[in-house]
This record gives sequence, C-alpha cells and structure tokens, in this order.
Amino acid sequence: MATFLLNINQHPREVDVDPQMPLLWVIRDFLGLTGTKYGCGIAQCGACTVHLDGKAVRSCSVPMSAVGAKNITTIEGLSPNGQHVLQRAWQQEDVPQCGYCQAGQIMTAAAFLEQQPHPTDDDITRAMSGNLCRCGTYLRIHAAIKRAASQTKTP
Amino acid sequence: MKRRDFIRTSALAGGGLLLSFQAAAKFIDGKPVANNSDALGDYVKITPQGDVLFQFMKHEMGQGVSTSMAQILAEELCADWERVKIEFPMADKKFEHDTGGSCTIIYQWDRLRLAGAIGRQMLVEAAARQWNTPVANCYAAHHEVINKTTSQRLGFGALASAAAKLTPPQEATLKDKRDFQVIGQPKPAKLIPEIVAGQLKYGIDVNMPGMLYAVIARCPVFKGKLKSFDATNALKVKGVKKVFTTKPIAGLQLESPYMPHDIREGVVVVADSFWAARKGRELLKIEWDEGPNAKYSSEDFEALAAEHALHRTDPTGYTGDENAVADVSHVRKTLRASYVFPHQIHACMEPLNCTAHSHPDGCELWLGTQAPHLIVFELNRVFRFTEDKIKIHLLPSGGGFGRRYYPDMAVEAAFISKEAGHVPVKMIWTREDDHLHNLGHLFQHLEYQAGLDKDNKLYAWYEKEIRTYTWGAKYADPQLPSMGYNIPNIRYDFEDMIRQELVQSSAWRGVVGHGRFYHECFIDEIAADQKIDPYQFRLSLLRNDDVYVGDPVPVSGSRLRRVLTLAAEKAKWGKALPAGQGMGMAVCDYGGSYVAVIAEVTVRDRQLRVDKVTIGVDCGKVINPSGTSNQITGGIVWSLTALFYGGLPIKNGRAVYSNFHQNKLLRMNECPAMEVHFVETDEERPGGVGEISSALGVPAVLNAIFAATGKRIRKVPLRADAFA
Repeated sequence: MATFLLNINQHPREVDVDPQMPLLWVIRDFLGLTGTKYGCGIAQCGACTVHLDGKAVRSCSVPMSAVGAKNITTIEGLSPNGQHVLQRAWQQEDVPQCGYCQAGQIMTAAAFLEQQPHPTDDDITRAMSGNLCRCGTYLRIHAAIKRAASQTKTP
Repeated sequence: MKRRDFIRTSALAGGGLLLSFQAAAKFIDGKPVANNSDALGDYVKITPQGDVLFQFMKHEMGQGVSTSMAQILAEELCADWERVKIEFPMADKKFEHDTGGSCTIIYQWDRLRLAGAIGRQMLVEAAARQWNTPVANCYAAHHEVINKTTSQRLGFGALASAAAKLTPPQEATLKDKRDFQVIGQPKPAKLIPEIVAGQLKYGIDVNMPGMLYAVIARCPVFKGKLKSFDATNALKVKGVKKVFTTKPIAGLQLESPYMPHDIREGVVVVADSFWAARKGRELLKIEWDEGPNAKYSSEDFEALAAEHALHRTDPTGYTGDENAVADVSHVRKTLRASYVFPHQIHACMEPLNCTAHSHPDGCELWLGTQAPHLIVFELNRVFRFTEDKIKIHLLPSGGGFGRRYYPDMAVEAAFISKEAGHVPVKMIWTREDDHLHNLGHLFQHLEYQAGLDKDNKLYAWYEKEIRTYTWGAKYADPQLPSMGYNIPNIRYDFEDMIRQELVQSSAWRGVVGHGRFYHECFIDEIAADQKIDPYQFRLSLLRNDDVYVGDPVPVSGSRLRRVLTLAAEKAKWGKALPAGQGMGMAVCDYGGSYVAVIAEVTVRDRQLRVDKVTIGVDCGKVINPSGTSNQITGGIVWSLTALFYGGLPIKNGRAVYSNFHQNKLLRMNECPAMEVHFVETDEERPGGVGEISSALGVPAVLNAIFAATGKRIRKVPLRADAFA
C-alpha cells in the first residue's frame, strides 16, 4: 500500500492503495466516479478512457505508480454541466444505445479533437478504431464527432 | 377502445395522480406463460409540479424501449415530451418486466395508449369541473387543458391531484394517428444526457457503505467439478477477506421456466476492492475434475452434428408431400448444402455483475436483468426465500442481448453475500470470465435439400436443423421454415443436441434466426444453379398472401416483397460492378417486422471488405425512426462481427479465446456505410425492431461474396484463408 495524492477533475484527492492497482479501479471504487467503465482490463476496448494531462489513456492499464502528479480528467470532469461540444453532438446525433462504452468514446474523441480540431473522415475513423461499441453505433459516433468538429472555430 | 377495467387511479402521496395498470400476460420469446389478471402495476405519476414520471418497468439494455414506450404514453396523454422523465421502479410481480424476443413494443402499444388516453381524459374532466363547463368544451394539448370558450388554461400539474379523485372513464378515445406529434418523431433517447455525462448508473456502478467485492474462479470446462483448492497465498493479499467454494450452488441446474441452465462450480474470493479480489484469485491453487468434456473440442462436436444432420427424423412440420424431395417421379435434380452457425459469445460491454445483500430470510439485489421473475423463482427455489423477502433494484444494463435473461448471477451473488456474513457484496465477472466460462449462443447446423422438377421448378424443399437449445420445449418453433416462398412441398426436421453440447447454450440477439435464415443462402444457391438473378428468382417465388409457419402471426408474402423491392431499388440492384465486387441480398420477417438487407462487398488482395449495406424495413407503425435506424444498423454490425470474428472455439473442453484481443469485435474502420429505408405503410401497429437485422447481415454478405468471387461460404466466422 502507498499513499497517492491525485489531481482529478481539478480537485486534489488522497488515496491509500496498492501501487499496482490500475487507475480505473481507483477512480471507480475509491473515488466513486463511476462514469469511467470497466470493459476488458487489457486496453482493447477503450471503455475506461480518461485524460492524463489532456492525453487519452486506457485507465485499466495505467498502474497508480505511473500516474504521478498528472492531471486526471474523467467524463465527469469533461465539462461542468455535460455541455461539452461532443456531449451536445452525441445528443443531437442520438448516438448511444446501451451507452456503456460512450464515456470512453467521448473521452477519446475529446483528446483527439484537441489535437486535431479539423479532422477528415479518415482521421476520425483512425482515431476512434481503438474503441469498441458492441451495440454498433460507429456511424453515429463518427457523425457526432464530425458535427462537433464543424462547430469548432478555425483558429 | 374499452377500458376493460384494467386502469386504476389513486392519489400520490404529496399530491398528484398515479395511473395504475393491469399487468397482462408475461411473455417469453413471444409466448404467454402466465396471466396474473388481478395484478395492478404503477405506470405513470403526474406530480403537482407537472412532471410526468414514466415508471419504466421493462429492461433498458440499449434497445431504446424506455424512450419509445414513453413516446407512446406521452402522445396519448398530450404531455410535453420535455416534461416526461424515465424512472426505474423496483421489481414487482405486478409488473410485466420480462424483456426479450423483440416483443416489448408489440405488447405495450395498446396498453400505453390506453393508459395515456385515460390519463388525458381524467385531466380534462378535472379541468371541466373546476371551470364548471361540459367536458366537451375542453381539450388537452401540450401539457395543459384548454377551455374552448374562455381560452383558460390549466397545467397538468395543477390538475393532477383533482384528477386523482375521479373515477376513470369506461371508454377511452384514442388519438387519430394523423394527429400524432410524438409518435413517429426521431426523439433522441431519453437517457442520453445522463449517459454522456457519465451519470447513468448501471448495475456495475452500485456502491454502498461496507460493500465488499467478489470474483469467482469458475471451472474452465463445462460440467467439470471442483476437486480441491488451496487459498493460502490468496489470503495473504491485503484486502482479501474470505475464500470459499460455491459448492452449495455449484453445478446447480437452474430450473427457471423455459430457461434451464447450469451454474459452473468454482471458488470465490471476497475482498475490500475488486482489484484485491482479482489479485487473490490469481494466487489460488485449484484442482479441477474436468469431467466428461475434458477431451472434447469444437471439431468433435461439429463433426457429430454434421453426422446427425444426415439422419432423417420425423418431420417437425411439412406442407404438401413430406417425402417430396425423394420422389423421383417428380424430382429430376437435387441440390444439397450444409450451413453452420457456431456458438457465439455475448460480450455485453458491461461485464456481468450483481450486487447482493442477503439476510437470514431474504435478499436485496441490484442489477440489470431482462427477467427479474426468473431471479425470484430461483432464489425461492434455491434458498427458500419467500417472494416478499426478495427485493430487486432494476438498473439499465450495458447490453443484454439475451444473456441477461438468465438468473445465475443473482444466485451467485446472493450466495456469496450470505456466506460472506450477510454483508453487501458486488460480484463482477471479469472480461476473461465472460469469454472463458460463460453461456454461449446456441449452435445451429442446417442441412438443406432442394428438389427441382423436369421444368427446373423448385418442387421440394427439405431442411433439417440441429440445435443445442429449445427453451425446454421438445420441438423447435416455428415448425416450418420462416419464409414466404411458394414451394409446393416443404419439410422441416429438427433434432436437438443439448446432451452433447460442450458449452451451456442460451439466447443471443437474433436468436434462432442466425441459423434459420441461412435459407436465404440456399435460395441463392438454387438461383445460381438455374442461372437466374437472385432478386428475380425471389420475386418469382415470393407469395402475395400470408403463410402460416407455426408462429401465432403469419408471414406476409406481400410485406417481404415490399421490403425487398425497396432495398433493391435503393441499392441499385443489378448495377454494373468491377471485378472483385458483388452484391447479395437476404430477406426475412422477425418480431412482426420485415427486413431486406443488400450488401455490397469487395474481395481484393484476399481480403473481404463490406462496402455498403442497404436495408429496407417494414416494422409497421414506426414509433421512433432515429432509434429504429440505430437498432437496425447496430444489428448489421452485430452480424458482421459474427461473420468476421465470431465463434466460440473450444479445445479439450476449454474456451480458447480469453478477451477482446482474440475475440475481436467489429471496429469503426471495418464498419460499412449503411442506409435504412422505411416502407411507406398504413400498418396501424408497430413491430419489434431490436433483432430484425442482426441475423440477416451474414446471409446477405455470404451471397455478395458469391457474386463477387463465385465462392460459396457456408460457415462463419470466415477462415483466415477464406479467399486464398
């Protein structure tokens, strides 16, 4: 066991856990933020995607010992009131079915759009092909990202 | 429409109106199993603040019925859609919770309309009394009742308490469909705001003070047993509290009506975190008695099935001459083919889980389930908990696909909580558990024969199905091929191989359609043999009338024809395509709806790419075109996963693939373009849409592969060397 001081969604939090414990389980079981989902535990599905210093990572495969002082952002911290341009686009395109993978999809897309605000169709597909959706909502995820990107102003 | 005495109203505590509703027959896969005619369930609450709280008592697992059911109710109630909220009530025997078989909307349509209409009429009557004017002088619109003479208005919230004191009307006047404002609209799903903010609580998100976590090491071989285990090292892991066997429930044959299945034996690790429980499990030393399946593999089973498929049995159903295919005085040429649809994993994105808090005489549970009544049945049977001592909190799930119909996770969790000292325990199946030790979709082998007469006309159709699951029934349903082709002699034989199976079979999205709609491939084979375009061949064979295949609802030849024609027109069937490309089609009925799928594929560099899928659909009255299209395109993705990556290979009794790196699912870069087109129809009633496309992508693509390459593939998943 070891004590870690985390910066999550812009709040400091202290936890005492096994340094090998993946960030996912700390977020879910110790910090009570359950929007980040467990899907596979081996970084194959993307349901657990969060941001570490703005970069999308699969939290199921990041041990606590590797988190350090990085800023963690989960779906709960993406926007203050669920009104991030992607969250609105997800609503407008009526994307989710069961919804379980969608937080991970949105977190992957959000980091991607930060890097590449004006992606091509192929760019979107490449960026999102690491996230599984068993319900098969891929075309709508793609459309929602495109919609969100079109609303991002050209610098 | 008559009220038929199944509406009851009462006042809500704190003011407002509660509309209650008689639960009707429960349905499993479309068949009524019970009818508790006295039971009343609570349907909708209207608060004094004007919120319409729809008590959603079905299971929301992504099929969108929480939204579409609310739309039906809101329409007749004349409620403002934005004021309608979905609430998840506790399980209650008064409710018809059962969710499966694509039949929710089919059976809820009348009831929801009636409930909404009666609620509206009562609100109108309450307003009329307050204004001292005849009811006919008032009407409801946009969450208000309006006085035609004075233009006075009263909101639903202001009227709810007064309406609750009235006697419900004997007759309900349903809205004319031309006046529909909510039904037929592409309303985004009600739960999206919570989903995109990470706030929607699924079963796996349950948390409570003092809760422990559990994982089970289950026997890797079906029907195997636990010999011994050593927990010394597991118990050294910090946070691990207890290790014990599931012996008392292990190997248990669950006897839920129509849903018999086994629980695998195992060893449970209980800890103060999921991570510690999992770590502890890795350190267990377990010896298994692998039992009768220890040396049994998928190839052995499939070879046995192929052998059984060649035996004639008594026909399950036939029309015309049952022996026509062998009648040499008519049949000049016989075509034969064998098709296989292997076991599949469900791979619900939310791994199976259940949180339980057992007490000496009962249990409280939290989970997403398609069939709470089966949980009550089994907890009563196994632990002798009486019905009133079983409390089930129903939560939406991250995918059900049939797997969440089975009550085993509740039995496991209740047992663990009891053995752990009656503390709340969240039991989670890891993804590896989900892939390695789980129930699988039923296996199907289809053996076809077609007899052509001297004019090369299709004279006789013979179909034998081998399957590993029947819902406890002796014979398969429907008892004839579910198709609308005009063939003078049709015979269907069925044989189950439940006793020989090497994985516990269960239902999966699209259920038996996956095997049985292979007839769309065999039809294609017959067309190719006769050198007739597959579309023209189908048109020449499709009936114009209805055909009874053994289901309560007949298959409509004309509706099959309409969806097929629409899809062919939209996909530009027959257009010239370069070498290596091809189009294939398939058409079927499912859940009272009709669908035609046309796939366009490219086979290049020994790789298959599905370029485009065009779908024509007739699901009767469309409640929500956006949600419906989402279901249909999602069903195609489901189907393509089975085609490219499906199967559940087993070697020496053990599942070979453990997680998504081996059991792949279709990804965005493999997802074809898709178009959904609705047939214009005057159908008054809706059909089911959650499963209509999921069994049809495979036959359409296999037919397209033939068009592109001349190669017939008769089994999924595609082998790595399929196009070598």
